[in-house]
Amino acid sequence: MQWISQGFVFRHTKSRFHDLDPRVKLLVSVELFILSLLVSSIPKVSIALTGVLIVSFSAKILGRISRSLLYTLMFSIFIFVINLLVGYSPLDSLVIATRFLTIVGSTSIFFLTTPPDELELVMKWFRLPRDLVFAFVTAVRFVPVMMLDALQIMDAQKSRGLELQKGNPYSRLRRFIPVLIPLIVDAVIRSGELAEAMESRAYGAVRNPTSIFRLELKQRDYLLSAVSIVLSVSSVYAFMFVL
Amino acid sequence: MIEFSSVEFQHPNGVIALKGIDLTIRSGDVISIVGENGAGKTSLIKHINGLLKPTKGSVSVFGVDTRKESVSALSRNIGIVFQNPSHQLFSESVEDEIRFGMINFGFEEELVAKRLNWALTLFDLERYRTISPMLLSGGEKKRLCFASVLSWDPKVVILDEPTSGQDFLQKENLMNVIKILSSQGKTVIIVTHDIEFIWPLQPRIVVMAGGQIVKDGSAENVLNDEDVLKRARLLKPHLLSLTEGLVVKPREQFSDVYDAKKWLVKTLRG
Repeated sequence: MQWISQGFVFRHTKSRFHDLDPRVKLLVSVELFILSLLVSSIPKVSIALTGVLIVSFSAKILGRISRSLLYTLMFSIFIFVINLLVGYSPLDSLVIATRFLTIVGSTSIFFLTTPPDELELVMKWFRLPRDLVFAFVTAVRFVPVMMLDALQIMDAQKSRGLELQKGNPYSRLRRFIPVLIPLIVDAVIRSGELAEAMESRAYGAVRNPTSIFRLELKQRDYLLSAVSIVLSVSSVYAFMFVL
Repeated sequence: MIEFSSVEFQHPNGVIALKGIDLTIRSGDVISIVGENGAGKTSLIKHINGLLKPTKGSVSVFGVDTRKESVSALSRNIGIVFQNPSHQLFSESVEDEIRFGMINFGFEEELVAKRLNWALTLFDLERYRTISPMLLSGGEKKRLCFASVLSWDPKVVILDEPTSGQDFLQKENLMNVIKILSSQGKTVIIVTHDIEFIWPLQPRIVVMAGGQIVKDGSAENVLNDEDVLKRARLLKPHLLSLTEGLVVKPREQFSDVYDAKKWLVKTLRG
């Protein structure tokens, strides 16, 4: 579980991709996401997936993204089976299932390479409401905390004789109730405490609070944005008219 | 009997939590594991019921290698009360919460009822029997966690930071429970920063720092070692410091504040 969780949370890594402006990272992610939505055959999905893997490799997150994709593979298999059952051909089902993997991979790139602080700056740049930005960024920040809590709760319940790995899928799911309830209750209590602490430190006192950090595009950001746009447009053209 | 032989444990992220741990805990021992945060105390106790398996070396509990046994099988003899009560409470009522472990271990219904009543009485929770554990105060939740673990009568009881969130009276009650457990021949392992709490118990103390055991000995021996206290970022118990400051020394170390008061009053009155 801990191994899987590493595939979803941001961790400081030294790479040129990490150093880019968060808006450029978002642009690359969105481009890959759009490409993933457009794929409809094995060659196209292979190109999109290769794109995700190349970007992940350059951002030194290939190992971590592979973990998240491995976890997503379960849902992907489910999608494959469902599509087969509703009458799609095995090849089409495979494309749809793989497309899901590519979509998850493309969005993971942004979240795995962007710290919550930068995420907040990007959302503010889009002029989203402050409360919404704060709620979203706080939720992202608390993902690793919740993961840690979940592991500790599982340890506590296993120590009371709970066997999470035994039985059929339904009974396994039921056995997770003693893990889920403390996790949810803890999250609710924590959110209440956080709200009180924020209010006690004057959150919401003024309409436009001081903004200390600003986003600034550098030469490399412009360069990479241009390259990625050219590649994406070419790929979309190829998807629509060549392949 | 619990035996750690050259145990090393490395987390999946590469951090080494334990290295070169050789430790023998005999049945009936009262032992306290102390050390600063990140010293490896919790990792050590998680090896006893198999929540963590050693990367190198081995841990044997009552002759069973923990790598070859499931957590639930080991937990029948090893009860761990974790630090944060909200990490384990989930049932609709206090009594359901206490029953949880016993049900998992397949206790007979009659025995469940008997042990439930015993645990509720011991921890003064009878009046809360039918209410939700979520409505209890922090101290009461902690007591409920003790009750739920002691209910299945494990041979070894491990308490992780048992005094956090407890007032003086609750700490005294807890101390009495530990004494009762000890008198019943149970092995009690207390992981704590609270040196003042463990001093009256005079346990064997294992000091940890940087994932290693830096000292293992009697309370008096360990807590008089300034170097070790500094390394583990611990303070000497007040009663020990008091004895050091006295010109006329008592024949024996003060076991608790009541003992110190009695001796001081008697000595000062001549």
